[in-house]
Amino acid sequence: MDLRYSPDDLAFRDTTRRWFEANVPTAELKTLAEKREWHRTLFAAGFVGMGWPREYGGQAASALRQAVVADEMARVNAPATINGLGIGIVGPTIIHHGTEAQKQRYLKKILAADELWCQLYSEPNAGSDLASLKTRAEDKGDHFEVNGQKIWTSYGAISDWGLLLARSDTAVAKHRGISCFLINIHQPGVDVRPLKQVTGNQEFCEVFMTGARVEKSDLVGRLGQGWEIAQTTLSYERGGNSLARVTRYASAFHALVKAARGLRRAGQPLIDDPLVRAKLGRIYAELEVQRYASLRVLSALDKGEGPGAASSITKLSYSEFEKRYFELALEILGPYGQVTAGLPDALSTRVSASSGHGETWAYAYLWSRAGTIYSGSSEIQKNVIGERVLGLPKETRADRVK
Amino acid sequence: MDFAFDADQQLLKNAARSFLDERCTSAVVRGLWDDPRGESEAMWKDMAQLGWLGLSLPETYGGSALGMVETAILLDEMGRAAYPGPYLPTVLAAHAIAAAGTAAQKNRWLPAIATGGARATIALADADLSWDPAATTTRAEKTGAGWRLSGVKQFVAWAHVADALLVPARTPDGLTLFIVEPAAGGLALKPLTSIDLGTRWTSITLDGVTVGADAVLGAPGTAELLLGDLLRRGAVAAAAEMLGAARRCLDMSVGYAKVREQFGQPIGSFQAIRHKCAEMLVSVENSHAAVYYAAWALDAKADDAALAASVAKSYVSEAARHVCGEAIQVHGGIGFTWEYDLHLYMKRAKALEPMYGDADWHRELILRRVA
Repeated sequence: MDLRYSPDDLAFRDTTRRWFEANVPTAELKTLAEKREWHRTLFAAGFVGMGWPREYGGQAASALRQAVVADEMARVNAPATINGLGIGIVGPTIIHHGTEAQKQRYLKKILAADELWCQLYSEPNAGSDLASLKTRAEDKGDHFEVNGQKIWTSYGAISDWGLLLARSDTAVAKHRGISCFLINIHQPGVDVRPLKQVTGNQEFCEVFMTGARVEKSDLVGRLGQGWEIAQTTLSYERGGNSLARVTRYASAFHALVKAARGLRRAGQPLIDDPLVRAKLGRIYAELEVQRYASLRVLSALDKGEGPGAASSITKLSYSEFEKRYFELALEILGPYGQVTAGLPDALSTRVSASSGHGETWAYAYLWSRAGTIYSGSSEIQKNVIGERVLGLPKETRADRVK
Repeated sequence: MDFAFDADQQLLKNAARSFLDERCTSAVVRGLWDDPRGESEAMWKDMAQLGWLGLSLPETYGGSALGMVETAILLDEMGRAAYPGPYLPTVLAAHAIAAAGTAAQKNRWLPAIATGGARATIALADADLSWDPAATTTRAEKTGAGWRLSGVKQFVAWAHVADALLVPARTPDGLTLFIVEPAAGGLALKPLTSIDLGTRWTSITLDGVTVGADAVLGAPGTAELLLGDLLRRGAVAAAAEMLGAARRCLDMSVGYAKVREQFGQPIGSFQAIRHKCAEMLVSVENSHAAVYYAAWALDAKADDAALAASVAKSYVSEAARHVCGEAIQVHGGIGFTWEYDLHLYMKRAKALEPMYGDADWHRELILRRVA
């Protein structure tokens, strides 16, 4: 056991820190062009697609170094890269399962954010039971025709392309009839509509596909291999954001302490109230535990030990913590925690929520409800942990009899 | 950056598991419940032979000069076995003597402890049960030849078998640690029986206990920093033992859920049980990260070592209680019987929960450090 960074990693962290301190945008990036420009600046500096193999424009960087970069970005509240799903999910999927022609056609444009990507997985009736998805992809001889609806599509509104899961065979068991495609969003058969969430923001979209066209050459892997491909892509990104997430939690914590000093109740600053102190201490302890657990996962990844199903432990742990965190924060702040405009100075610090946006406490609290649903709900994570980590027997399921 | 145990640490863990599986079975643990000493002399000697008692002591005194990570590995395994005996307080007291003792004190106690010839403990909590060394109310007055100590110490672990009691007391020079031997006049020990029969606590009354000038550990007035360090080590050590108890409860629950059938299927196939086990695993793995991060930070003298000790103690205290309690729920009625072993581990974790500062106290320490 040795939790020190190696001299090389330390030097890398220091260089990275200096770069971000010198280059982080001072004003909020508003337009797509500005965000794309920032992405390209990051790419030119070597901070985009770091984990990709060298032959496809990456650096084969270790999980730890990727985590360090994300962490340094969080430290200075740097805006995220604009093509997160392209870099984190789509690119690795094409690298692992794509044809040479697909690699040539798509990868460079993903790295440079020339083309932005979204993921077309969830459907209104296929959430936790993703494999029951109904969107059809029919072989029309020279192309596939896609009909169906997707939902919870992050970045749908700005995307050029989508990584699509659709049913190509209705005659076989549901997991085996799914294929993976690359679909051009800019065509008459694809309609993208923003979806407003409880936060009031529109981070997601609904995507309607009616007679949409997918080229034969844009099938990824084999017909019917889609489910298997989706399973592997889900694990590409685990760990890379873990330190950054904790850094955001910590910077929100310091904003919370500042607020607790500035707000008074019953004749004293909140920070002097033992009940408030107990809650703050609980939050910080849990936040540190998240950090230690992240280091443990990163050190295993660095040794080439894939987290596998154990990544479900990380996801379940942080997303459930995040809910407790912001529940306690809003208990401490009282009604001020719910205010979205007109906040007193003590509360004016923007909170760095896990969505990556600088926002109000109210937003962070509402957003914390998303984490235990997206990318596999807590219940699905517990099933995975129970079956694949603990080896508990599978439940009897109606759809297993097929 | 490597969070995994190195080869030597893994060997130590494996050796501890084999030894305790063989020598510290639940039958042995249960057999010691009615024993007045409550521990096995033979097991203690064997632990000395294995090098466990001198694990973190300097080599010149018969130790192996290993660190808190290795100590935590052993305590983790001891928690798993609900080992009954004075291991934790003895190594804590030995650390204090090694850190602050005079040459004579080290020569007197450390080889004896390393070879299994002596046991020791520390009386950290006074009558009001504060874990803050600054709140010490026990007093020591100078006499012609030495000191006279008066006060009450509560919940002292394994004092009834200790050859050396480390007693913090307030003196005109400041907080001072004294080594008090059980034969000293004016010392009254009263055993407390609690739910964990493998944990032995004692109330100690010091009614003008006289000790020589050489009973002062190091120099008078120098104990404050040392006591802070001992509390942190005690907190991490207790967390390690709670972790072992919790993991044992989880393992037993998972094993039981695979074979126990109701409604015609193993109960582990029901989400109500499977999800509980998954939550227990998250608590256990997080506890593992917290314990070994804190142990490593103490060894490395990291800037956040004190913070990490409080994080570990506050987190694991609640996590272990939760896991052990849920284990009983997973088992149902059988888990609530005296014959079934779950309560050995559940009670051990519970016994350690208030020791070296409870979760609330450590959360307050955390907040003082970061806010």
